[in-house]
Amino acid sequence: MSGTTHLFETLVSPWLDAGYNLARWLLRDEAAAEDVLQDAALRAFRYLGAFKGGDARPWFLRIVRNACYTYLEGRHGLNELSGLDEADFEHLQLRDGRTAPDPADLLMQQRVQAHVNDAIAALPPPLREVIVLREMEGMSYEEIADVASIPIGTVMSRLSRARDRLRAALSVHGAAQESGDR
Amino acid sequence: MSLQDDELSALIQSKARYHRASEALHADVRARVALAAAAAQEAPKPERRRSWRGVFTQWTQAAGGFAVGVALTLMVSPLIVQWAQTWRQPGDADLVAEHVRSLQAGPLIQVASSDRHTVKPWFQGKIDFAPTVLDLADAGFPLTGGRIEQVGRERMAVLVYAHRRHVLNLFVWPEREATPAQQPSQQQYRGFNLLYWHDGQMRYGLVSDMDAHEVANFQQAWRAHRLQP
Repeated sequence: MSGTTHLFETLVSPWLDAGYNLARWLLRDEAAAEDVLQDAALRAFRYLGAFKGGDARPWFLRIVRNACYTYLEGRHGLNELSGLDEADFEHLQLRDGRTAPDPADLLMQQRVQAHVNDAIAALPPPLREVIVLREMEGMSYEEIADVASIPIGTVMSRLSRARDRLRAALSVHGAAQESGDR
Repeated sequence: MSLQDDELSALIQSKARYHRASEALHADVRARVALAAAAAQEAPKPERRRSWRGVFTQWTQAAGGFAVGVALTLMVSPLIVQWAQTWRQPGDADLVAEHVRSLQAGPLIQVASSDRHTVKPWFQGKIDFAPTVLDLADAGFPLTGGRIEQVGRERMAVLVYAHRRHVLNLFVWPEREATPAQQPSQQQYRGFNLLYWHDGQMRYGLVSDMDAHEVANFQQAWRAHRLQP
């Protein structure tokens, strides 16, 4: 017993924050992200025996990612969301209670930050997750492909489309100019 | 003016919000894993008579035990004080130390069942009293199991409950002198909310990280179930 809890602490615990961040960005809901992280951690504990060694971060984030899509499917009464491309997502038009940025916010840094966060949050999940894993987790294309169960070519094309959309959103708000003097 | 890829990356990396799990969420995950590990045990282990020195040794030997450093800090001072003291009723420090130890090093549960007709008889022959075992699932506090613990000089029955993401340890030990039943009293110790009461035969100590009002709800549910035939 204490052997497997030790294994959990060594392999999985270091990536709990990364898992929470991914869940938070995918679900855009704090309570849901907490529940999904709990679920994914327990699942990881149960399947520690199936882990083949190496870096456990992609292994654990894959569990988190799949738990997130399962959650989204449950909430929207749909099936097989995890295999969809962003065009399919746009057809589905998933709705949730995401709050709008505060228009009265006057601080330059906070305005830029709000725009960046909003722009990422506005991406459809297949594009949002590759941005989170690439830019916030610093993962390689291979690792992202492993987490999202997609070919490396799809990782690269989704990153490209995600960046195009972010560029468009951030240019409109002038975030590019505002961030110039960092 | 459009951003290059590397400028965009730099912007995201500096400005995008990285969400970290709260301390409470980290603790909850560890507690649930400890619970799952305990539930995965095939047969209840024979209870160990454990001195405080033995607990300390187990802690230091459990290399990689969760937050051993933090837990040791929490436990060392009460241990030293305890060692020097003559027999007294288990107090806040003792129960909290045992609560934390059970969540981090385990075992949390020796008999895993939500059925009080399984948990209560399990204690028979292992301790010299018969604790009242109630399942308060309809009030949001399901029974998850039990164990036996040596806390100081008292051999206690511990009933383990869950409430949302909280793990509750309800310590039960027999009253030594004939005293009338007392009103429950709430205590705070290192951020944990404790609840003590006794019913004339048994003493109870509830330890958890629930809010005070959730602790009060537990006490109400216990009393309501206790009064049922």
